[in-house]
Amino acid sequence: MIKINSKDCTGCRICEIVCSMHHYRVVNSERARVRVTTNWPWEDEPVLCRQCRKPKCVESCPRGALAFANNHPVLDAEKCNSCQACVAACPFKAMFVDPENGMPIPCDTCDGKYMCSQWCPNKVIEVVGE
Amino acid sequence: MNEFYGYTGKILTVNLTAGYCVTENLPTELALDFLGGKGFGAKILYDRLKRGIDPLSPDNIMVFANAPLTGTLAPSSSRVVMSTKSPLTGLWLDSNCGGFFGPQLKQAGYDILIIEGRAQEPVYILIENDRVEIVPAADLWGKDTFETTEKLKEKHSSRFMTACIGPAGEKLAPIAGIISEYRAFGRGGGGAVMGSKNLKAIAVKGSRDIKLYDPDKFLKILNEAYDELRISPDTGGGRTKYGTNVILSFMNEAGVHPVRNFRNAVFEGIDRINEKELAEKYYVKNRACFSCPISCSKASRVKEGKYEGRFTEGPEYENTWAFGAQCGNSEMGAVIHAEYLCDKYGIDAISAGNITGFAMECFEKGLITETEIGFPLNFGDDEAMLKFLELIGQRQGIGNLFSSGVARAAREIGGDSGHFAMHVKGMELPAYDPRGAKGIGLAYATSDRGGCHLRAWPVAAEILSPGGDMDPLGTDKKPEYVKTEQDLFAVVDSSGLCLFAATGISLKYLVRLLEAATGIKDFGSMIRVMKIGERIYNQTRLFNVREGADRGLDTLPGRLLSEALPDGPARGHVVQLETMLNEYYDIRGWDQKGIPAADTIARLKLK
Repeated sequence: MIKINSKDCTGCRICEIVCSMHHYRVVNSERARVRVTTNWPWEDEPVLCRQCRKPKCVESCPRGALAFANNHPVLDAEKCNSCQACVAACPFKAMFVDPENGMPIPCDTCDGKYMCSQWCPNKVIEVVGE
Repeated sequence: MNEFYGYTGKILTVNLTAGYCVTENLPTELALDFLGGKGFGAKILYDRLKRGIDPLSPDNIMVFANAPLTGTLAPSSSRVVMSTKSPLTGLWLDSNCGGFFGPQLKQAGYDILIIEGRAQEPVYILIENDRVEIVPAADLWGKDTFETTEKLKEKHSSRFMTACIGPAGEKLAPIAGIISEYRAFGRGGGGAVMGSKNLKAIAVKGSRDIKLYDPDKFLKILNEAYDELRISPDTGGGRTKYGTNVILSFMNEAGVHPVRNFRNAVFEGIDRINEKELAEKYYVKNRACFSCPISCSKASRVKEGKYEGRFTEGPEYENTWAFGAQCGNSEMGAVIHAEYLCDKYGIDAISAGNITGFAMECFEKGLITETEIGFPLNFGDDEAMLKFLELIGQRQGIGNLFSSGVARAAREIGGDSGHFAMHVKGMELPAYDPRGAKGIGLAYATSDRGGCHLRAWPVAAEILSPGGDMDPLGTDKKPEYVKTEQDLFAVVDSSGLCLFAATGISLKYLVRLLEAATGIKDFGSMIRVMKIGERIYNQTRLFNVREGADRGLDTLPGRLLSEALPDGPARGHVVQLETMLNEYYDIRGWDQKGIPAADTIARLKLK
């Protein structure tokens, strides 16, 4: 499970950068599975998948393109038509889409490695209870 | 080069007169010879601007340049450099900014954004990858920088990163800065250049990949470099806890923290204006620029007293000085509100505070009167300080003259005000008194953009290195130190990293990161990279020489050269500039008039 200590978030976006580096070997914050929101100057917060036990994203998909496996949502790109119902359904606003094709890019926990958590300089993203 | 790594390989030019945009390829030689950021600005401005153009005319251009490490995972790779001809000094200006604007511009696909000409009506530039629009901005004109930023994000999404001007830039104040995501391209009047182009703001968002040559190697080097930052008592400790104010007490103890317009060096308000006071009573939260693990920025709020509820992101060391000791003010709430006002109106806080202290001395000496100002302006009067700042920010009343800087104001006011107008080449001096640390005197005098501490910062060796061999009050070794550091800082300002992070990880890691990011072998050599730094520093010198600058302008205010400090550890001292300057020119390969010699120009492959 992910715990977010947003009061310690400085808004540096290292989580976004590391996420895209890990998945694509490039920097592209618009392809990251985590995004930082800022309400200047008092609030910064990383928004990312919380691995709901009853995932609304999976439930909402009209084509059954999303499943929940290995502790995270998994996309079957063959079935996805980029309708983005999953984006609207996520209660954490944590489902992001690939800017190229509009398909969701669900957090895959980096196979349990959680690179965002590993690189966060302020321990804002904490992996607990696994 | 077939494919660029670390660079996007593209230059975007927006011509506001004709209303067109054009994208060109980045010339390979430009990257190899000038690295990025400041280096790009130095070459482009030298090649493109004619001698003697008016900085506020459509002939001036603005170059926003990223660098190989901008927008990467390298620590604090947030930096983008804006170069232009300064309306404050009439000379070279580069001003760099952290935050998020540069990385977004790079993600949109551009190493460099050049702005030319002048729009007929107020406009802003909207950039999203290939889509570049010049948008009417009548509804934004007149708004302060906070409102402008908010409106743009409301309209285009909070993922757009902005750079904008406030009322001071619109009214062409030569000390107007450009505010970007609550940080600033502060110094030298870039805001006025934007205002002269009728350009209110730039908003940018990108979704293109930033590619590195060897991502695995890059990450490996990064892991080592991160360790350097973590174990450093500065970047891993003091700077995170106290922000840039970490040095304040040291500077005061050393007699280098200027008081009441550099008249004294012992500040009676130090018990209330210091880094510990800030950390304990005012800092609420750490904030950071893009990709920065240090988080030297602080969100501060005043929790009690007459300034209760006032807040800012900051204050930075320079501004704590500018509105603290420089104005003889020991009310921290007023310091915090002053920095907020500078950001709101879009003015450079160092210049604004320096100017306010100068005006206070003019008032004390009867050179300007209560009738002219509208109220008494005494040293130590926090409320008057803020009222005066409002006048500067809005260019109202006597604020109109003072927002032009102390050099112009002194010419207008006359008397002996030129003696205590604390500037070099027209740019107001920052928070170090060179009579107590002689090296910074030479650094001020030879800084390419005028009175600035970020072209070389010898106080690190003079004051902050206990047991070191640099006597702060002597002149030995200072010219060599200043020359080398100017070249090094030119490299850092052309790399994409912030100075704090870059000096924290050292040049050794910086060059390895540059090589892994770009695949360019030369960038992996400290000697070759330092030569690029020297080339850049000579290029900006040649720009200034073309504008008529020479030894005559490489000087300090009369007060520092002839008025001995009355108190503190440097009591009785003045700056012996000429001796240091002679040696500095020799080391640089410049003649005794300060002109780069022909063989120096040839050695550095400059034309």
